[in-house]
Amino acid sequence: MRNRLALVGLMVLVMVASMVAVGIAAEYVPGSPLKAGFIYIGPIGDYGWSHAHDVARKAVLEQFPWLSTVYVESVPEGDAGPTIDKLINDEHCNVIFTTSFGYMDDTIAAAKKHPDVIFAHCSGFKRAPNVATYMADFYQVYYLNGLMAGALTKTGKVGYVGAFPIPEVKRHIGAFTRGVREVNPDAQVDVRWIMEWFNPAAAKEATEALIADGCDAFAFTEDSPTVVQVAGENGLLSFAHYSPMYRFSKDYCVSGELVHWDAIYADFLAKIYAGVYTAHNLANVDYWWLLGQGAVEMGAQPGMPINPAYVDKLKAVTVDDPVLGTVSVYDLIQDRIAEMSDPSMVFDPYDGPVKDRKGNVQVKAGSRMSVLQLTTMEWAVEGIIGPWPGEP
Amino acid sequence: MTAPNWLKIERRPVASGRTVFIISVLAILAALLVAAIFFAAYGISPIYAYYLILRGALGNMHGFSETIRRMIPLLLCGVGLTVAFRALFWNIGAEGQILMGAIAASGVALFSGLPGPLLLIAMFIAGFLAGAAWGLIPAALKAKLGLNDVITTLMLNYVAMYVVLWLVHGPWKGASMRGYAYTDMFPNAAQLPMIGSTSIHWPTLMLGFIAAVVMYILVNRTRSGFEIRVVGENPEASRFAGISQFKTTMLVMFISGGLAGFAGVGEVAGIYHRLLDPSQISMGYGFTAIIVAWLARKNPLAVIVTSFFFGILMAGGDVIKIQLRLPFQLINVFNGLIMFFLIGSELLIRYKISIRRR
Repeated sequence: MRNRLALVGLMVLVMVASMVAVGIAAEYVPGSPLKAGFIYIGPIGDYGWSHAHDVARKAVLEQFPWLSTVYVESVPEGDAGPTIDKLINDEHCNVIFTTSFGYMDDTIAAAKKHPDVIFAHCSGFKRAPNVATYMADFYQVYYLNGLMAGALTKTGKVGYVGAFPIPEVKRHIGAFTRGVREVNPDAQVDVRWIMEWFNPAAAKEATEALIADGCDAFAFTEDSPTVVQVAGENGLLSFAHYSPMYRFSKDYCVSGELVHWDAIYADFLAKIYAGVYTAHNLANVDYWWLLGQGAVEMGAQPGMPINPAYVDKLKAVTVDDPVLGTVSVYDLIQDRIAEMSDPSMVFDPYDGPVKDRKGNVQVKAGSRMSVLQLTTMEWAVEGIIGPWPGEP
Repeated sequence: MTAPNWLKIERRPVASGRTVFIISVLAILAALLVAAIFFAAYGISPIYAYYLILRGALGNMHGFSETIRRMIPLLLCGVGLTVAFRALFWNIGAEGQILMGAIAASGVALFSGLPGPLLLIAMFIAGFLAGAAWGLIPAALKAKLGLNDVITTLMLNYVAMYVVLWLVHGPWKGASMRGYAYTDMFPNAAQLPMIGSTSIHWPTLMLGFIAAVVMYILVNRTRSGFEIRVVGENPEASRFAGISQFKTTMLVMFISGGLAGFAGVGEVAGIYHRLLDPSQISMGYGFTAIIVAWLARKNPLAVIVTSFFFGILMAGGDVIKIQLRLPFQLINVFNGLIMFFLIGSELLIRYKISIRRR
């Protein structure tokens, strides 16, 4: 009996001791080995969002000898809190990356609970002394793809297969449409929503519906190469999304958008390693990285901005630009890339005046949309047709 | 199929509780044994893997809390399903009934303006009724028109999913969510209390236990329960006995849908505090609950044990993901194998197989 009591006492002691040990996780010392944990909303095996984050994780892992990483895939929103706890308590991570908007409140709550751990939340807007936010956005690249689509469409109708009608996707379709109409002022962008991030069957159906409506070039937001494949099978043009998709339609995939989350991860982690970022000074750290910072790239695969089969065609189409004069679309694209990559961002796809499709002026001449306006954008740019849920 | 003549297959009159228990445990062991092959294929010792899963799900307060959190919706849905299955109504629609419960609770939380404690009570009532209403549709379709319940309940899941999607992308989209597809957060009064710092929303857990006991009594000790069993076990006899098939079917689905609705209320009021993407609200509880009810051999009280078991498996899934770096789909393989062996073992419950002595 006494033995058993002693045993129970010992167990309680061990439990209390381990809790205390967990509670006093030490703050990261700059220059020491660093462990980063990544939490993904989806599986890493698709061609989309989570896959891209994991590619970036591997890239920084290779880049920094002092870095080790751990990741968890397909974490439902309701599991974010417990998963963060596990990464800190069991895996002893110094830095946690939460890579979905839905993790926002749990990230903030976990940051309060673990004030010595550094957090970075992707695509959200709430920060804290130990929580930074970051986002690599495509809207400039969509605009560039739009210039090509506008030059190459024969029917004057360009198709867009959208995932969800949220500001991010609306902003991308808008920028794409701005590009299309800059080259081809009468062209229209016809939109279909599939209400899913990953659904090849629905993406196929939507693409076929758009083909039936006369579209001959396609851009999209969906985590599979389906739209590229279906367009290619029908001999129609497409623009890849998120991952390299050139190989799925070598003759018809013109360009696309590629992401480099590693640019942000490398910058953030290096600054923590150097002691620039700590668990106390992140309240104003917000990465909103675009072409200029190298977080995104134009192309259907790395190093191939434009499919070589289309370079001459783009050189043959000309536009009259008020500033640049008469230039080929190919040269216009190069100019725009240079302008948008310039630190002072001489040009932005949403430079006013911009009208919505109901005729209201949304951006006045001479002004430009703020990051907040871009991230909360609900209206449809002039030239977009098709349903637009939540249109103001 | 003819059995080889050295095998003797006899019909069991009624399998004893002990036999059913042993056969169920053997079925689970068989599933774990087959799943072990997958672990071994990944180069991980299956014994070590199972040890980690158990330790992760039960070894500390944190894991235990996660296990119970997942047990709650499985318990509520599972109890309801045992009642429906007793009457031979194949409710594959608990997932959709959960979502309807979540919708109703969210509507009350966001727009009713009810004060304090009344709010949560109203949310539970609304959630129950919404889940029940969603369950009554296929019940009526079967009882009146003879439509296949498997198909109708399954398909209504998708309808419910799209209703949630429409709400969070449309009329209920929260002004404070910057265009993302969520409703606004519930007021504090609409958030369920937790046990300490765990994520166990105990009022829903209590409802689950109460439901298990009440349903056990209903099925085994009341006239309605008797009618449910007769309809399930011998529909012909029920007709001669003057038992209304319509009433019985409607009753079981009112209960089954309603309890799933409760589970939906628990998820939004306990965990998320807002309505969000349907795939995030339920994580497939409605489907897993089918296995939970089946493993309980349609006994509402036994669901307490089986839902706890599946809570361990689901919480242990985190271990598979984080510590073993295995694909998370392995948990679904688990569930599938258990279901497979359970259905396979039905034969052993109904028939006694022995080796014939010469």
